[in-house]
Amino acid sequence: MMAYAVALPLVAAFLLPVLHNASRWLGILVGPAALVAVLLVVFQSWQPAVLPFAMDLGGFAPPWGITFYVDALALLFCGAVALMTLLLWPRDEGDGDADALVRRRSLTLLLAAAAAGLALSGDLFNIYVFYELAAVASYGLAAERGTPAAYAAAFRYLMLSALGSVIALAGIAIIYFETGTLNLAHLSLLAGELQGPTGMAAFLCLLVGFGVKAELFPVNAWVPEVYGVTTRRTAGLLAGLVSKLAVLVLVRLLVLVFPQEGLRDALLLLGVLGLIGGELAAWKARDMTRMLAFSSIGQLGLVFVAFSLPGTAGLVAGIVVAVHHMVLKPGLFLLAGQWGGGLRGLAGAARRAPLAGLLFVLFALSLVGLPPLPGFWAKFLVLTGLAGQGGGLGWLAMVAILVATVLEVSYLFRLAGRLYSRGDDEVPAAATGGGTVTAGVFGALVVAAVVFAPALWDEVQDMGAGAGDAALYVRTVGPMVPTMISGGAP
Amino acid sequence: MTHLDLLLLVALINLPVAWWLAGGATRRRLLALPYGLMLGMLLYMDPGATWDSGLSWVFLGQSLSWRLDGLGWFFALPTIGAALAAAAYSSGEWGEDFAGAGGSMGWLQLALAANVFAMLVLLAAGDLLTLFIGWELVSWAGLPLMVLAGGAAVGAGIRYITYAMGGGMAVLLGVVLVYVWTGSLVPADFMAVLPTLASWQVGLLVALFFGGFGVKMALLPFHLWQAPAYGLSVGPAAAFLGAISSRMGLFAMALVLVKFITLERLVDLTVIPGLLDSRDVLAWVAAFTIILPTYTALKQNDARLLLAWHGIGQGGYMVLGLVMGDAMGSAGGLLHVFNYATNQAVLLLAVFAVMHRTGTADLNRMGGLIVRMPLSFLALLIGIIGLAGLPPMNGFVSKWLVYRSLVLEGEPLLFLAAIIGTLGTILSVYKLIHNIFLGQLRVEHEDIREAPWSMTGPMLVLCAVIVVTGTMPGLVLGVVADAQQAIGLAVPDYHLGGVTSPAGGLDMLWLNGVIMAGFAVGAVLFYGFGGRTKRVHQLDNYAGGHFLTADVRYQYSDNFYPGLMHHIGGWYRGSFQWLEGALISVVDLLATALRGFYHQAQPAAWVLFTITLGFAWAVLP
Repeated sequence: MMAYAVALPLVAAFLLPVLHNASRWLGILVGPAALVAVLLVVFQSWQPAVLPFAMDLGGFAPPWGITFYVDALALLFCGAVALMTLLLWPRDEGDGDADALVRRRSLTLLLAAAAAGLALSGDLFNIYVFYELAAVASYGLAAERGTPAAYAAAFRYLMLSALGSVIALAGIAIIYFETGTLNLAHLSLLAGELQGPTGMAAFLCLLVGFGVKAELFPVNAWVPEVYGVTTRRTAGLLAGLVSKLAVLVLVRLLVLVFPQEGLRDALLLLGVLGLIGGELAAWKARDMTRMLAFSSIGQLGLVFVAFSLPGTAGLVAGIVVAVHHMVLKPGLFLLAGQWGGGLRGLAGAARRAPLAGLLFVLFALSLVGLPPLPGFWAKFLVLTGLAGQGGGLGWLAMVAILVATVLEVSYLFRLAGRLYSRGDDEVPAAATGGGTVTAGVFGALVVAAVVFAPALWDEVQDMGAGAGDAALYVRTVGPMVPTMISGGAP
Repeated sequence: MTHLDLLLLVALINLPVAWWLAGGATRRRLLALPYGLMLGMLLYMDPGATWDSGLSWVFLGQSLSWRLDGLGWFFALPTIGAALAAAAYSSGEWGEDFAGAGGSMGWLQLALAANVFAMLVLLAAGDLLTLFIGWELVSWAGLPLMVLAGGAAVGAGIRYITYAMGGGMAVLLGVVLVYVWTGSLVPADFMAVLPTLASWQVGLLVALFFGGFGVKMALLPFHLWQAPAYGLSVGPAAAFLGAISSRMGLFAMALVLVKFITLERLVDLTVIPGLLDSRDVLAWVAAFTIILPTYTALKQNDARLLLAWHGIGQGGYMVLGLVMGDAMGSAGGLLHVFNYATNQAVLLLAVFAVMHRTGTADLNRMGGLIVRMPLSFLALLIGIIGLAGLPPMNGFVSKWLVYRSLVLEGEPLLFLAAIIGTLGTILSVYKLIHNIFLGQLRVEHEDIREAPWSMTGPMLVLCAVIVVTGTMPGLVLGVVADAQQAIGLAVPDYHLGGVTSPAGGLDMLWLNGVIMAGFAVGAVLFYGFGGRTKRVHQLDNYAGGHFLTADVRYQYSDNFYPGLMHHIGGWYRGSFQWLEGALISVVDLLATALRGFYHQAQPAAWVLFTITLGFAWAVLP
């Protein structure tokens, strides 16, 4: 059943151009219909009694076949993929180019399929395939505007991402060479063989490779440029969704295959650098989109810091921080899409669009962590985790998080002040409509998170505990072909 | 539903109610009503008891609960009182003019209601997590009140929130550390473990909490934000903020440093062996906070900023009294919260009443308004006597208690600092009243009328409170005693007229009686011997024996005390401004560097660079 989460958007992506030629309405409906179907599949599978379960596609037993591992965390991300893609579904930008819109929708569906695949895949081979698929889709989306700047940004992004993919592939190759398998459950059993420097090098390859999409410092230089030239919906999708799925893959690897302490330190250090670097750059940004892009880098840094914490506490903190950012950032990008461009031109914008202004303040407050908004709980979890862990890096990270928050307040509310200032009213009011409404949905999610906080908390704890249980993963995927266990390099 | 729940519920419902009431000219007359109701509910609750809330839940493994004890009650009183005065002040002509000039009464009243609600949530905090939640709510609720005026106030507000979040983050780190080190955020649990913590741990907690709460109190060196943020706001908002807002910092300090960590532990924490313990450091920070901002106030030429700068300095007395920790000192420090709130509210309301009529708060552009606005003059006069801490007003009682404590505790240098501060206050409030009300009337102010009753009414009621609680301080000392008991401090032996002590007490009933008798004698002498006066037109005046006419400007505030400034003028260096500027420059430099990183032509090179470095790290032992 869960295979439909990947298959439906994938098929729809390829059918869309054909159907569009046959009937305009069919072309419009097929994408959202596929995504709604995925949501239904996710809802139907969300039964605590049967979770987690594994699926062997095509009937091939692991470690040979394609394995999908379905636990609450994977379902959460699958559902998020469908929901976010639906909310950020490409709209007619009014440039009158129908073909471009069809291409954009096709690519978005492809991205959704790949993202769901990343969330579900239980082996490195498939993860790599879906990662590449997502990359290809995102190259196309990055260049969607067709302007020279968009092509330049997309090309630079392509170079960076391709190099990252090659390095990730090298990491996968090292793992295969060392253990003879790519199935995550199988690798978990053989984790002992990856304890040495070779194993660490392999993980670093994967970290840097997948880190490109996950906006990991310092391989994230594409972020501000690409988000600056794409539509805000695509920026929201890349920042909110794709980055988190790359992180999810790294987290699965950390839990199942690489429990080494040192690797968590590396993750923590890079996370701290990303956090501080991103927030500092955002503080200086003169353009709302870029400000949000840099802030996104900072938030991803925080996600890395959270996931670097050991045990269930780290997973829980990471999930909360990641989901929080996943909901907020697209909302903010949509508002930026309404207002557009340079900060100077935004004077008084919120006075002309009060709902959008309120949403901006709500998102900003949650981002900086005003209790009882969800951003506060996210920060609180990370901070208590770090303080409990102690150590020089832990203290550094705590100070970094607090300093970054002050920087965040400084630039976000400098912007809020400008939005509410009595600016010159000659600036035409931005066309309101879809963007604000969709942002409103994200805002409603934030408020709902406050209202249903206790229930969500129980859910997240179970999710974290389940995702952190490597033995459960191995048990669920089932027994491996015995000859492979003794495996190793041929 | 308990009494506390009911109070919080009324405060919460007041948000939409205040917004609705602000919407119409007739409805506006009722703006003060909800605060009157809240005040009644508060007075109904016995400050000596602890009032629990029925609300409590467990979340993230933390139990959140609210309860109002004597300390919270004591701070809730001026909070609701100040809001009542501010709402009443804005309910008539002021509100009409404000709305007429394009201001949003709805936002103003909503923000005021939000502040009161947030403060009550903070004051009723039952554990460290709810304390932090309340703290953040209070910090953020203040922002809309500050920026309502637009223009320069927006910049001041953003500066405020940056400072406030810096403080908030220090508090958050403190809360997190308490949780990790003691395993609980519930006072009964972590207070049992706190004594077992190492000195460096407690020292760090003290630094984080004192620093964090100190930002709200605008203690040195975090004081730069407050004067413009409070002073440049609109009238009722400025009066409310100035009267009580930053005292939330003192509440939190009293709770965390005095009750949870305890002053004994502070004394045990040695900073310089044999010379300085951590309580001394706190006391000296308070002392410098008294002196520097007070003398900064002396240099202000804007009446609002002059008063706002004094607000910072007066906070120093409160902290100083509190950390002395003896019965008299802590009573003085806490009593000063109430007294100062009444003084500052009256002063700012009076200054904004003058501003309402003249359109300016510039001390170089006023003068001689005493005849035109006599009630405002009276209010300002009573306010400045209280602010300067002179009898017969209430400000004298609280300051006297603090002085007495400093003398009895053997702190002559701190006593001297407190006296220097009071001297500066007297000098600058004289400048305030002189330049607004005394001397030469300006031609453009000839037709000025007194402010309407909706504005003078609240001022006069507050004046009555100042005089009554100045003559009968026992009325407030009883509540102060409840607050002291709630945080485990000794209580002075008080009575209606003041305090009794073997080392010498204070009886304001007697003192004020003597003062009034003195005035009576003077009046009898003056009027008995004919009461000879010569009336001249206010546009003409004398200064230093020279006759001045309307075309010669007599009033000025630049270099107001040339003799004094000759001696101390060189001390004003703007060092803290420079420090703040330097910090911003450093952040700016780093940010520029980081932006450069994201503006490079060959980002792919970083992938190679990173993986090479990673390999080296993995392979090298």
